[in-house]
Amino acid sequence: MKLSLLNRRQAAAAAVFASLLLSGCAAEDPLAEKVNAGTNSYVAGDGSVAEYAEGIRGETVRFSGQLFDGTTVTDDDWAGKVTVLNVWYAACAPCRVEAPDLSALHADFEPQGVQFYGINTRDEAATASAFERSFGIEYPSFKDKNGQILLALTDYVPPQAVPTTLVLDKEGRVAARILGIADKSTLEAIIEDALAAPDPGKP
Amino acid sequence: MTTTKPPSGKTSLEDVALPRLGPAGMLRWAWRQLTSMKTALQLLLLLAVAAVPGSLFPQRPANPAVVTQYIQDNPGTGPWLDRFQLFDVYSSVWFSAIYLLLFISLIGCVIPRAVQHWKALRSQPPRTPRRLSRLPEYGTMTVAAGTALTPDRAIEDAARILRQRGYRVQLGDTGTDLPSVAAERGYLKEAGNLVFHTAMIGVLVSIAVGGMFGYRGQKLIIEGEGFTNAEPGYDSFFPGTSFNPGALVPFSLTLNNFDVTFDRNPASYGNPIDFTADMTVQDSPSDAPRQETLRVNEPIGFGGTNVYLIGNGYAPEITVRDGEGNIALQGPVASLPTDATYNSTIVIKAPDARPDQLGFVGFFLPTAMVDENGVAFGSDPDPYNPQLNLNSYTGDLGLDDGNPVSVYQLDTTELTQLNGRDLPDGGIVLGAYQTYELPDGKGSITFEGLKRYVALDIVYDPGKAGALVFTTLALLGLIITLTTARRRVWIRAGQHEDGRTMIEYGLLARGEDHSLAKEAIRIGSALTAHWNKANDQNRQATP
Repeated sequence: MKLSLLNRRQAAAAAVFASLLLSGCAAEDPLAEKVNAGTNSYVAGDGSVAEYAEGIRGETVRFSGQLFDGTTVTDDDWAGKVTVLNVWYAACAPCRVEAPDLSALHADFEPQGVQFYGINTRDEAATASAFERSFGIEYPSFKDKNGQILLALTDYVPPQAVPTTLVLDKEGRVAARILGIADKSTLEAIIEDALAAPDPGKP
Repeated sequence: MTTTKPPSGKTSLEDVALPRLGPAGMLRWAWRQLTSMKTALQLLLLLAVAAVPGSLFPQRPANPAVVTQYIQDNPGTGPWLDRFQLFDVYSSVWFSAIYLLLFISLIGCVIPRAVQHWKALRSQPPRTPRRLSRLPEYGTMTVAAGTALTPDRAIEDAARILRQRGYRVQLGDTGTDLPSVAAERGYLKEAGNLVFHTAMIGVLVSIAVGGMFGYRGQKLIIEGEGFTNAEPGYDSFFPGTSFNPGALVPFSLTLNNFDVTFDRNPASYGNPIDFTADMTVQDSPSDAPRQETLRVNEPIGFGGTNVYLIGNGYAPEITVRDGEGNIALQGPVASLPTDATYNSTIVIKAPDARPDQLGFVGFFLPTAMVDENGVAFGSDPDPYNPQLNLNSYTGDLGLDDGNPVSVYQLDTTELTQLNGRDLPDGGIVLGAYQTYELPDGKGSITFEGLKRYVALDIVYDPGKAGALVFTTLALLGLIITLTTARRRVWIRAGQHEDGRTMIEYGLLARGEDHSLAKEAIRIGSALTAHWNKANDQNRQATP
C-alpha cells in the first residue's frame, strides 16, 4: 500500500494527537493502585485523607436512617454538632484494626459534644453487637444492609471503600473523608479542627 | 510500577556510519515505516501475541489474591514476572505501547489516504490514451454509412450510456476528427476501504473509552436483601482507569424472591430449566419503585448500566454462639456451589466470638444422602434434606491484622481444630433447625434456615454503543470495498473515408477485477443495441 508523504500540518496534528494519547496513559493509574492496595478483589481504601476547606464544603448532609435498636436518626440530630460517620462491617479486616482507635476517640470527644455513628453495610443486629462488644464501641450504628444511606451519601462525598470515615462540621457538611483505615492522630486533628470552628448559630 | 532505564548510549550514532539523513529525515523515515499497512498488520499480530501471557499468568485485575499466592509460591521467578508486569498484562507499559503504536499507525495510514481520495473524488477521469488497443479489454464496432451518426453524436451517445451505467464521464477532443469519452467508476471502493479503516479506529477508541470511563462490579444478594449502586456496596469492583464515582447511576434493587426450576423429566433429571429473580428496583431514590424480573441473558438496564444474573446458590442461615453464651454471628452465609447438584463449599467466620474466635469450613448439601462408606453426598439441587457438614476451628482467624481476606477462604494452618472426621469429636453434621454444641464449651452453631442468593454482574460500558456502530460501519465498508469494482473506460469515434463510423473502446481495471471482460461485452452490446435501435427508427422515419 502506497502512502503519500504527510505535509507539515498533518504531521503536526498527528504529533499533537499522539502526545495527548501518551499523556493520558502516563497519568496515575487508580485501578492498579486500588488493586495493589488489597490482596483481594475487595473495595479497600488506601488510607487517603481528603480535607475540605471551609469555602469548598458542599451542602449539609441530609438523610434519615434506622439504628440497630430501631431509633430513627435524621440530619436534625447533627445540627450544630461535629459528627463522625464510619462505614464498617464486622468481618471487614481494616475495620477491626481501626475500631479500638474509634472507640477511644469517641470516649475522648463525647464530652465535648462530638457524635459518632457507625454505618453498618452487611451485618445483622446480633453480629454487629458482637463486634461492638469485642471492641467496646459505645456509639450506635445505622443498619444499612440495603445501602440506602450509602446511596444518600453519594450526593455529598461518596464513601468509596470500607471502611470510610466522614467528619461533618457543625453545619453538617463534610469536612473530611478518610478512605481505608483512619489514622488515630489524623482523625483526632480533623475532629479538633471541626470543633474549633465557631458555631453557625452564634457568629 | 517499576521504571526501566533506557540502555545508556554506548552504541550511539558515532559508531555507525549513517547516510546523511538528518533528524528530520530520520523522523520522516520512522513515520513512514510506522504508518505502512505492513506495520499495522504486524502490530495487530503483535497485540494478539502480547495478550497471550494474560491467559498464562494470573492477572491482578481479575484476582489479586491468586497473584499474591503465585509470587509466594514462586519466589524465584515471581518477582521477575511482576517486574515485567506479566501480572498486569493489559495495563502494562509494553502492551499499551503496542496498542498506542497500532493506533497511531492506523491513523497515520488513514489520514493521507483520505486526503488522496478526496482529491481523486474531485478530479476528472484521465484523458483517453492514444492506443486503446493496448488496454486489457479492447473492442471495435462500425456503424454503416448513411446513418446520421457523426463521431461527435456517437461519443455523446456513448457518454450517456456510460453515465447510465454509473460512470463519471468526461468528453475530450470534441470537434476534432477523433472525439472521445473517458469514464471512471468505483470511487466507492476506496471510500468503503476508508470507512473500514476509520471504523476500526472507532472500535479501538470505543473499547478504550469503555476501559477508561466504565466499570464492572460483582455483588451477591441474598433473598430479602438489597443493593444500592455505591462503591462500598460491591463485593468486588473494577473501575476504569479514568473512572469517576459520579458515573454510578444511583439505582437500587431488592431481591424479593429467587426461583429455580429444575427438570424432573427422568432423561435430564435435575438440569436447571429456569432462573427467575423477582426484583423491586428504583432508578434513583426519588423514583417510584417498580417490579422487574431478572433472568439469565435478560439484564435489567439503568441508563447505560446493565445488571446481569451470572450465578446463584444457597445461603444457610446460621447462628454461632460463643463460649460466653453471646451470639457472635447471626445471618445468612453464602455457600459456593461446586457442581450441578449445588453441593457447595461454605466458610463461616465468627471473629467476635469470645474468649476465642470460631471458624467453620465444610460443605452444604441441599439434599443429603449417605453412601455405603458413611460419606454424605448431595443427590438433588432442590433443598429436600439440607445439611451442613463442617469442621470447626478456634484461634486467630487472621482478620485482626487489617489485611483483607476473601470471605470464602479460611487459612486453617494457624488454627486449632475442634471438629473433623479424624478427631474424637468427629465432624459437625447439622440438619435443618439443629444445633451442635462445640467441644470444650467453646460455643455452639445452629442451622436456622435457608435462603437463596443471586450473583450479579453490574457493568457500565460507555463505549458499547460506539463499538456496535463502528463494527457495523466496518462491516459495511468491507462489503462495499469487496463488491465494488474500480474501472476506467475510454471510447473513441471517427469517420472512415467510406462514410462508416468507426468506434473503438478500451477498459482498464484498477486493482484485481475478474469481471472486466464481462463489463466490456456489456458495454459493447449496449452501444450496439442503442445504435441499431436508432438506425431502425431512422429507417422508419425516412422510408
